[in-house]
Amino acid sequence: MTDDIVLEARGILKRYPGVTALDRIDFRVHRNAINVLIGENGAGKSTLMRILAGAESADTGQILLEGQPITLRSPRDASAQGIAIVHQELSIFPNLDLSENVFAGRELTRHALIDRPSEDERTNSALSRLGKPMPVTPQASTLSLGRRQLVELARTLTHGAKILILDEPTSALSLTEAESLFRVLAELKASGLTIIYISHRLHELLYLGDYFTVLRNGRIVGEAPRADVSRNWIVERMSNRGLNTTPAPTAATTPLLRVRNFTIPTQDDSEVSITGLNFTLNKGEILGIYGLLGSGRTELLEALAGARSSAGTLTLSERKLSLDSTTATVKQGIVLVPEDRQRDGLVPELSIRENIALGSLHGLFVHRAKLIQRTQQLAQDLNIAAPNLDLPITTLSGGNQQKVLLARCLMSNPSVLLLDEPTRGVDAGAKLEIYNILRTLASKGLAILFTSSEIEETQTLATRALVLCQGHIAADLTHPYISDEALFTAASPHISLPHFTSSEVTL
Amino acid sequence: MTAPTTLTSRVLLLLLKLRAVLMLVILLALFSALSPTFFTANNLSILAKHVSISALLATGMTLVVLTGGIDLSVGSIAGLCGIVAGLLINGLTIGGSTHYIPIPLVILVALLVGALAGACNGLLVARFSVAPFIATLGMLYIARGTALLLSNGHTFPNLAGSPAHHNTGFPALGQSFLLGIPAPVWIALCIAALAALLAARTPFGRHVYAVGGNERAARLAGIRTSRVKLITYILSGLCAALVGLIIAAQLESAHPATGESFELNAIAAVVLGGTSLMGGRGSIGGSLIGALVIGILADGLVMLGVSEFWQIVIKGIVIVLAVAVDQLQSRVQFRFLSNLFRPKQEANQ
Repeated sequence: MTDDIVLEARGILKRYPGVTALDRIDFRVHRNAINVLIGENGAGKSTLMRILAGAESADTGQILLEGQPITLRSPRDASAQGIAIVHQELSIFPNLDLSENVFAGRELTRHALIDRPSEDERTNSALSRLGKPMPVTPQASTLSLGRRQLVELARTLTHGAKILILDEPTSALSLTEAESLFRVLAELKASGLTIIYISHRLHELLYLGDYFTVLRNGRIVGEAPRADVSRNWIVERMSNRGLNTTPAPTAATTPLLRVRNFTIPTQDDSEVSITGLNFTLNKGEILGIYGLLGSGRTELLEALAGARSSAGTLTLSERKLSLDSTTATVKQGIVLVPEDRQRDGLVPELSIRENIALGSLHGLFVHRAKLIQRTQQLAQDLNIAAPNLDLPITTLSGGNQQKVLLARCLMSNPSVLLLDEPTRGVDAGAKLEIYNILRTLASKGLAILFTSSEIEETQTLATRALVLCQGHIAADLTHPYISDEALFTAASPHISLPHFTSSEVTL
Repeated sequence: MTAPTTLTSRVLLLLLKLRAVLMLVILLALFSALSPTFFTANNLSILAKHVSISALLATGMTLVVLTGGIDLSVGSIAGLCGIVAGLLINGLTIGGSTHYIPIPLVILVALLVGALAGACNGLLVARFSVAPFIATLGMLYIARGTALLLSNGHTFPNLAGSPAHHNTGFPALGQSFLLGIPAPVWIALCIAALAALLAARTPFGRHVYAVGGNERAARLAGIRTSRVKLITYILSGLCAALVGLIIAAQLESAHPATGESFELNAIAAVVLGGTSLMGGRGSIGGSLIGALVIGILADGLVMLGVSEFWQIVIKGIVIVLAVAVDQLQSRVQFRFLSNLFRPKQEANQ
């Protein structure tokens, strides 16, 4: 049985400031099989994969290849050992053609010059091996996302990868592209490759996987071969029952925000288009939008905040709402707490107070005394743990930074609060605190709309949940009927998988 | 996808792609028709010498711009290297006795100075993450200041050397002819051909394009992005040094102000030749044509007696138009290529 393990990670510990991403985990990769790694966002999957691919190094722990310890200092080291990763965001050179992309960094040469015929030949043979022969001269920028992914796969194959890591490969693909990827993976497995596959989508995991490992909060909480795995087995292990959850308040039913025939056009292939969406947000309600990556949840929130162009009939307290710009939506009472705090939210050079006040500095002069009083009040209300609001924002923990963002949004006295992943990068204690703050705000009549990729967060926080799947509302669930099963089933796109028997799915 | 659309966009795309060549042909025809002295051997020889200067600078500049960088210091480096040559040919006075250095060594030292200045640019950009604009702007001042310091603000005259000191022959670099063609033109052609080969056919060249196209992906693919950038700045510095030497050889004197605003001509030539300032797209050949266009435009306007001030305005208009057309090309190209490849893909699946 031990011969079956081609790659093993032992006692991997990885800490980032404030978070333990991986807590001494042991991960085994079975030879010539599709090894599935499952876990919610922030469970540590991507960190583990980056360590195995040499893009990051573990604080402690060991990696064994064929039973021999190896050191991976860079992606180059890993690929020399035959370990290759296809990233979530593809790393393609848009300005180079297919052959050039495949051989970037490892050009074939003859007399010091590039040997283009050999490169083309090997690119062609890799693409045929993937079952997708195509011309090698067009620039990569002209290819669809699915094709770009094939080019990446071709790259790993031509460099003799034996272990292939795929990090959410289907998240940006269309259904047909995903299906053809599955066929490719089956072929690759048949030709002797070992594959590590990360995804959220249960359907495809149950269809593809040979061995399953479940990660939760940096720990491995389940490990089993396909025969012992069922949908429930995965769901039970993925969702964390450890958190102490207070029941969500019952929802009032005074409609506040009405969204009718809401349409968000796409700018490029990687985005999800939303057409004809209808829903209503009630006063004092906490509405959760649950959906997988690529379901359109972020696009929906951005459009509602006026940060993305959209069309549709929207009314806020019976008044027509225009979503022309973020300034317009803030004025009308809708504010967004963005997903990426560091990039879209905070200004690291400014103090806590200045960060809170950022959105509400209008007019020529700042009324300093008023500002100080208001920020102090909000910091107290939201329980921001800072000895002094004039300290730099960077001195705060993730949870408190998130509260600062919340405080900023509340400065403009909104009637609708939009939150994209409200507790990303926040530890468990602060999570509960933020949930409680949001509940208090809702009980005062604020309508809250949040998106989450975490089942548990949706269940804990939402009084009502909409499940988005590829730009459509797949389910409208009310507390306490927001079950794991209901969320999962509605969120996973239904794919007609080849050779798929019903007995394999249900179990 | 209907046939006429494809044909129209195909023709449009071809015209856009060849726009620099078209412009060249039009300018040649226009000036030949308007000025009887334009298309004469004498004028063309002068023109070729001028163009070879900006073509040399544009060659090095193209490599830098392809990685997404820019080199503002080339004019100053040219000036500095000319001064270094002037200093060495006029003799180094160490401890009372004056030493004269053989010309090949003088050239080598001047080239090394250019490479060193380029290496400083490259290190600042690649290792210390200083924005290329800033790093090379700094070098623009440093190199110019050093040239003034070395020459004390004066011109080094008489670079012909003297037989007594065994250091004659330097002017040949700028003044001699081979097969009836001036030496600077040969130098520019050789360097450009080498650079074109480097860019199009070697792993290094492809790394240059890769870094300009997607630097993060290049790093993940194991390309040593810092080293690639460093080398492009060194090559640009070398080209600048050659220019400094050629000008000093042509004039038989070295002036510390030589090369002022040359960098702008070089950048204009690169842009006119279709190289994207964002990096990743362009070619050495394009920059050569760009240098020709700018050279011919300047020369032709002089021949026609257009006021010097208008010449400057016209040059500016041409550059801005060229970039505007460049944007048009990428849009048309994208639409055209998407049309071309999309249907095929679907057919395959």
